[in-house]
Amino acid sequence: MSQKHSVRRTLLAALAFPLALWGAIGSAQGATLEEIKKRGYMVVATEDDFRPFEFVKDGKPTGFDNEMVEALKKSAPFEIRQEILPWTGILAGVATGKYDIAITAAIITKERAQSLDFTSPIADATHYYVKKKGDSSIKSIADLSGKTVGVQAGSALLGRLPELKAMIEKAGGKMGKVVEYTSYPEAYQDLALGRTDYVVNTVINLKSLVAEKPAVFELGQPVSGKSYPAWAIKKGNTELLVFMNDFIAKQKANGTMPTLQKKWFGEAFELPVSFTPEF
Amino acid sequence: MSSADVLAIFGGALTTLLLSAAGIAAGLPIGLGMALVRWGRVPVAARGVAIYVSLLRATPLVTLVLLLFFALPNAGIPVGPISAGVLALTLNTAAFNCEIWRAALMDFPKEQIEAAQSVGMRRGLRFRRIVLPQIARVSLPGLINEMSLLIKVTPVLAVVGVVDITRAAVRIGAETYEPLPPFFVALAIYLAIVFALVSVQRWVERRQLQRAAAA
Repeated sequence: MSQKHSVRRTLLAALAFPLALWGAIGSAQGATLEEIKKRGYMVVATEDDFRPFEFVKDGKPTGFDNEMVEALKKSAPFEIRQEILPWTGILAGVATGKYDIAITAAIITKERAQSLDFTSPIADATHYYVKKKGDSSIKSIADLSGKTVGVQAGSALLGRLPELKAMIEKAGGKMGKVVEYTSYPEAYQDLALGRTDYVVNTVINLKSLVAEKPAVFELGQPVSGKSYPAWAIKKGNTELLVFMNDFIAKQKANGTMPTLQKKWFGEAFELPVSFTPEF
Repeated sequence: MSSADVLAIFGGALTTLLLSAAGIAAGLPIGLGMALVRWGRVPVAARGVAIYVSLLRATPLVTLVLLLFFALPNAGIPVGPISAGVLALTLNTAAFNCEIWRAALMDFPKEQIEAAQSVGMRRGLRFRRIVLPQIARVSLPGLINEMSLLIKVTPVLAVVGVVDITRAAVRIGAETYEPLPPFFVALAIYLAIVFALVSVQRWVERRQLQRAAAA
């Protein structure tokens, strides 16, 4: 066998390997409620850098969703195992069945609803923009024309930028450059450094940011219609969805959820039981 | 940034150190074993190693760890963030270590082996007494280089939930909205770790020189 042939064969074998692996592993399945009860635990995934929904303070997870997880631990008839990881892996983990549910502020979108089921909304989170404190060049939506915007990659905020684009175009302007970040802390930092002109996130996240750093950031106007974050479950896992919606309904009725909303978001919301996204 | 925050970064440093140490401890001998398989032209296995090395050198670590973390459970193998991380680091570094060891082996003078054979040394003894000490010396700079790369590539494992130095720093920045101070602490720790590694290399090299001078 010539050297050239040998190299080519090695390459072909190397190429074939991932494909073979794909075939061998096949598609994934999430655990049904019955399976969760039988094995005695549910795996919950949360984020670690999405203040005020979920973040880590002094090495301990805290925020709205983490306190809801605490409430879930008390009421669920099985153990709750929590995994904390960055946004990047969360929805993929739920879709592959690695986690039974993502207890994070996943905004309900049309695209995500194709592969995931969403619980009842946990907050009212219309998208707003935040700008640098004292930036007098931005006073209204029309002023955002041509300005650079920072937003999280793979986020619903990014997915709904066309809405903002339409708003800017209606005002006779044109959407500027979009910069995507792995997570929001980097986006805020770049805004503070002046590399972007504004950042789009939910009003809840931005209020929390501005409350903490009033000298650096200033809240702007809404850039989307209604938007609701909810928890995500693998598509078709209906019993688990019903179980979680019952849990949310109970927390609304017994006052836990409104109290936590006031604590973390500054206000309690009237929320629909289910939401069908337009975008 | 509170003292608890600094402590959290040091907690991350422990994870980084443990993961790197595990990856190095497993990857170093596996790499050597694979290099020997190729060097000795073991039928079938040598081809397998060649395929493995080209595959792993072409796979970004982040892709590898995501694949292991999400795919293995579906194949019936339960794997947590730490075990997926160690596995990914080991698989990755073993491929690079294999090539470093192999380069040293290819350069190894055949006459020495023939000489050892002529005095009746068996294969195992030949390898321990003649080959290994010499290829270890030649490979050391390359291996230490690969180790320092491995330490600095551990933040990639954060995608599956491993909290290393960098992730601990990111978390603090997300809580305080002040990302720079934790990054400075993180950088200082990385510097200390890699400096310690390089010091070990210097120490080993100096000892070898002294031995050579004494001989």
